[in-house]
Amino acid sequence: MNTALSLAVIFLIINLAAGLVRVARGPSPEDRMLAALLFGSTTVAVLLILAQLMEIPALRDVALLFGLLAAIISVAFVALPADHDRDEEDSWR
Amino acid sequence: MGISLVIDVLLALGLVGLALQVVAGPSLFRSIVLFVVFGLVMALAWARLHAPDLAMAEAAIGAGITGALLLMTYRRLVELNPEKRGETYLGSRWLAAPVGVLTGVLVGLIGWAALQLPPGDTTAGTLARDALDETGVSNPVTGVLLVFRGYDTLLEMGVLLLAFLGARAVASGRAHSPGTSEVSEPALVGALLSLVVPLTILVGIYLLRAGGHAPGGAFQAGAVLAAGGVLLSLTGRLVPTDHTPLVQRLVLVLGLLVFSGMGLFMLFAGSAMLSLPGTWAIYLVETALMISIALPLALLFAQAPGLKGRGH
Repeated sequence: MNTALSLAVIFLIINLAAGLVRVARGPSPEDRMLAALLFGSTTVAVLLILAQLMEIPALRDVALLFGLLAAIISVAFVALPADHDRDEEDSWR
Repeated sequence: MGISLVIDVLLALGLVGLALQVVAGPSLFRSIVLFVVFGLVMALAWARLHAPDLAMAEAAIGAGITGALLLMTYRRLVELNPEKRGETYLGSRWLAAPVGVLTGVLVGLIGWAALQLPPGDTTAGTLARDALDETGVSNPVTGVLLVFRGYDTLLEMGVLLLAFLGARAVASGRAHSPGTSEVSEPALVGALLSLVVPLTILVGIYLLRAGGHAPGGAFQAGAVLAAGGVLLSLTGRLVPTDHTPLVQRLVLVLGLLVFSGMGLFMLFAGSAMLSLPGTWAIYLVETALMISIALPLALLFAQAPGLKGRGH
């Protein structure tokens, strides 16, 4: 059972690494931000599994916090100035 | 054991790689997003190190405040300097090598010192854990923060207040609203707020209550409440005022007042300064601290001396 949970954690972390490619390469700011939000969900999953695996129930509270607060960064992102000149694609973001 | 080692190595490699990308990346926005991701992986690392308190602090501060703060700062930079969009605002690079080497030496020294620590039963941590029953709380972190090192916690509240006053002292001119009130907002913002903001209050109080026996406590709870305030001022529901209203002044100093008042009371009652007479006093002080942590964090985020509801 523990082996299965550990393998699940490793699988999810490798998922993170794959998503990291999108954050690193973009190209658009939306790509990066959506990948980062996906990271948040995956982190919640990893924390929930670790709570079971390491028998630290408090990690479920940490997962709760990440789930609750994930929306804030996306609201802050929406508040960024809109791209009126998307032609010069993103040298600055 | 082998499999958990794989997890740890993956996390460690990820952290170092992310940190490198954050400081050496080609664009500022990319670095900000990667820094947010770094916080997530850091929380996982704390979890693997059996430090759920730190993972929780990372979650509350990192996800609730820092990410939004960096994005707002980025927004201001672009507004102030639209023609410099392409620049990454990195300072001169010739300092990078010496700073890197010195930091490496420092990290090495700290690691070496940590390896020299005496193992076993005589460390302060062990003593504190053995004396935990006397404190009335079963969460060692809360016990240490409020009972064994009350002075530090009290002074930390002073530091937070000073940070707020310092920010007010250097702030110039009219408060800049970080909100989106002047433009039409996406349709889902109102629904999101009505869902998330009450939940931040609920979760904040839950964390405060949980702090007695599990990871949590005033700091994390205050940060979660502040995150609710951040969300409200991001969406223009809370707008800056010109002066700090009286109630908010009181709230700013409430934690200091309650904690030091309780400590002085115990001194005159014949006990030690800052000793707390039981679990109820711990929760009372924690509640005051939570409120007095949440407000300055929200005000610092909004760059405002005070906040009021929109339309008031």
